[in-house]
Amino acid sequence: MVTFKHTQLKNGMDIVAEINPEAQSVAIGFMVKTGARDESGEVNGVSHFLEHMMFKGTSHRSSADVNREFDAMGARNNAFTSNEVTCYWAHILPEFLPDALDLLADMMRPALRGEDFDMEKKVILEEIALYLDRPGHVLYEAVMEDHFRNHPLAHSVLGTKESITALTRDQMQTYFDARYGPGNMVLAVAGKLDFDELVRLSEQKCGHWKHLDVHRQYPAAEFRGGVRHITDPKLKRHYVAMICPGPSAQHDGRYAAQVLSDVIGDHDGSRLYWALVEPGLADEADFSFYPHDGMGSFFAYASCDPARSGQVAEILRGELKKICDNGLTDQEISRSKNKIATAAVLQGELPLGRMRNICSRWIYNQEYKTLEEDLQLLEGVDAAAIKKVIHEFPFSPLTTTTLGPAR
Amino acid sequence: MSTVNTAGGKARQDVMTFPNGLTLLVESMPGVRSAAMTLLTPMGAASDPANALGSANVLADWITRGAGERDNRALTDYLDSLGVQRSASAETVFMRFSASMLADKLPEVLPAYGDILLRPRLPESGFGPARDLAMQQLDAIEDEPSQKLNLLIKARHFAEPYGRPVVGKKEHLNALTPDALRKDFQSRSTARGSILAVAGAVEFAAVRDLVEQHFGVWQSQEPVQQPVHAAEGGVFHEQQASNQVQIGLAFDAVAEADPDSIVLQLAMNILSGGMGARLFSEIREKQGLCYAVSAGYMSLKHIGAVLGYAGTVPERAQKTLDSFLHELQRFSSGAQQDELDRAQVGMKARVIMNGESSAARAAAIAHDFYHYGRPRTLDELRARIESVDLKRLNAFLESHKIGKLTVVTIGPAPLAVPVDLIG
Repeated sequence: MVTFKHTQLKNGMDIVAEINPEAQSVAIGFMVKTGARDESGEVNGVSHFLEHMMFKGTSHRSSADVNREFDAMGARNNAFTSNEVTCYWAHILPEFLPDALDLLADMMRPALRGEDFDMEKKVILEEIALYLDRPGHVLYEAVMEDHFRNHPLAHSVLGTKESITALTRDQMQTYFDARYGPGNMVLAVAGKLDFDELVRLSEQKCGHWKHLDVHRQYPAAEFRGGVRHITDPKLKRHYVAMICPGPSAQHDGRYAAQVLSDVIGDHDGSRLYWALVEPGLADEADFSFYPHDGMGSFFAYASCDPARSGQVAEILRGELKKICDNGLTDQEISRSKNKIATAAVLQGELPLGRMRNICSRWIYNQEYKTLEEDLQLLEGVDAAAIKKVIHEFPFSPLTTTTLGPAR
Repeated sequence: MSTVNTAGGKARQDVMTFPNGLTLLVESMPGVRSAAMTLLTPMGAASDPANALGSANVLADWITRGAGERDNRALTDYLDSLGVQRSASAETVFMRFSASMLADKLPEVLPAYGDILLRPRLPESGFGPARDLAMQQLDAIEDEPSQKLNLLIKARHFAEPYGRPVVGKKEHLNALTPDALRKDFQSRSTARGSILAVAGAVEFAAVRDLVEQHFGVWQSQEPVQQPVHAAEGGVFHEQQASNQVQIGLAFDAVAEADPDSIVLQLAMNILSGGMGARLFSEIREKQGLCYAVSAGYMSLKHIGAVLGYAGTVPERAQKTLDSFLHELQRFSSGAQQDELDRAQVGMKARVIMNGESSAARAAAIAHDFYHYGRPRTLDELRARIESVDLKRLNAFLESHKIGKLTVVTIGPAPLAVPVDLIG
């Protein structure tokens, strides 16, 4: 029997847990509500760089200690940074939960030593260079910038060679001090665990962290749409990305938006699959729903032969228009719901999947839903709900950015 | 013939080989609602005709474009309406079909896969797009240097046909015809040497009956074997104005069926398992030379190799390669007990965590059957990991010094490789 528990420490840190006594393992993560959108332009990339620095040790652990201790638990562990959150996680056997909590909690109060900062800066610059060799990533950053313009969701998560080179340790410390308050983070645990023991240990490790008032800015965005092409003569393929407003992570229409985006652009059996991939016009064509904090996006992506770029863009726009005009069929909706439900059940069998789910749900909506409740909400999506989403978010204004060898 | 054993805990494994040579492996797992299937059939790139490289890759797409009573759209819609998460792809030896679903859908899903393997429509209309997509894949690889490196290093290091890029060659794809590919399919399609693994909330008897009904009449012939030619090896550089230099290296290692492969796997964990492993710690953490650096073990039935990878900006590329080679050479003088302890804990944890996923278990028992001739239980995997002590590990490292390296780089300029290490 799976149960959910929540408590809040006096300093404001939320602890959420989904306890499954049948599980063989447990996943634990600290998710901090901070990311590239919370950066000022001059420290662009600091959230992600800081995520790396959190592995570099604390007042009583070196960087090597941190890595070695994770390995000694046999942990699968990592961290990731997005525009909106930064998450540090470990998937372990249940007997290592106290050790993993001790280590992760300690990491949340990092030393940020100058020599480590200088060394890791080189690694970050390598990561930036790595992604510059991936056209899909280059295009994604460009289209986000074109679409969100002055809104902070336009910020690159990695930052640029220039912004990272110029960043100082003190600027990072200032960012950390302002964002990593206990009230701005959630400790989430899923799998086999003893909740009372978890709370007792968390109180011990995190209870003394000082409360901070942390706020996120929610400026309005001004979307203008538009088209831009970026030329890279060394590329063989043409890449196209389109982005337009969609429901936010808090919007009631988000389940319908998920079904809608699956019908339009899942990698198999979707509208874009039949229109572009099945006939061999594009080797990839996806449509996704990105629910952000306070606003959302629909995102389309395709790659094709440069000679077919015009045709592919036209078909992409045509498919979106068809959906705006005619909506979806009941069969399409029902098939997509089955696909999404199956994926949720499969993910729900793994503690890591459930930890990520309850963690971000808490960060975005301060709520918990069992897998069954989630599936019921999904089941409730019908043609009317989809129509409502399309009415409110009619794939417009649409920002199109392309990348390829053409001039 | 059917053998039965326990898979550790409440799980149970069954194995059966049908008269046509198809092997069925079933692992019944407690506590899950899902079922997953892995089907491996010996129709991979290594058995492509020498003048039609890339055929298996095109077939893996074409074969799912309609089968049995269903045309392309009907088949796709049918599997989608059952919520099946799936993929079909060509690999070196096998063509692989994977499907995950809610367990109660299995009786509706397995027959569709019987159709795909035994009665694919291979429609004329689907051939052009399937081939076109394969051609586009070749171009897409050119746009991503790290993917290209992965193909180049295998092509240089492994004997033909095992190093063949699955994607094939453009001129061969251009010359392919629907008829030739249909004939090729007929000559390679066989139950013999095929492995069907099912794991999750399933019962052996029910799965066996389904498989018998839907795969029982699958034709049986000797899997196609292409002649083997020695690998080219050596040092190879491809000029490209990329932001990073891609560095790949490879050397021979024991095959997985060798009793020593577990020692090698533990060694690889010490070298490149977690963030505390040697390559990550010495090259990235201590020197900041790159973001990605790793080494991995891969094995086919009779050959194994260690493949190393690093990506770094041109100014640091030589130092990165030198440091990588230094770590490999230093390894022959042995590891420490605490390193072995961490590698063992890590591998054992992985065994248990993968045990929670029906998809991971289906893939694992199919893998086991190919390499070991039987599925292995979680308890057996744990015991094998624990059986290695430091003495055995260090004796292995001392007697398996690296030699005969294959080195491939992609970037603005070639790197210097010590002559004594090159094969």
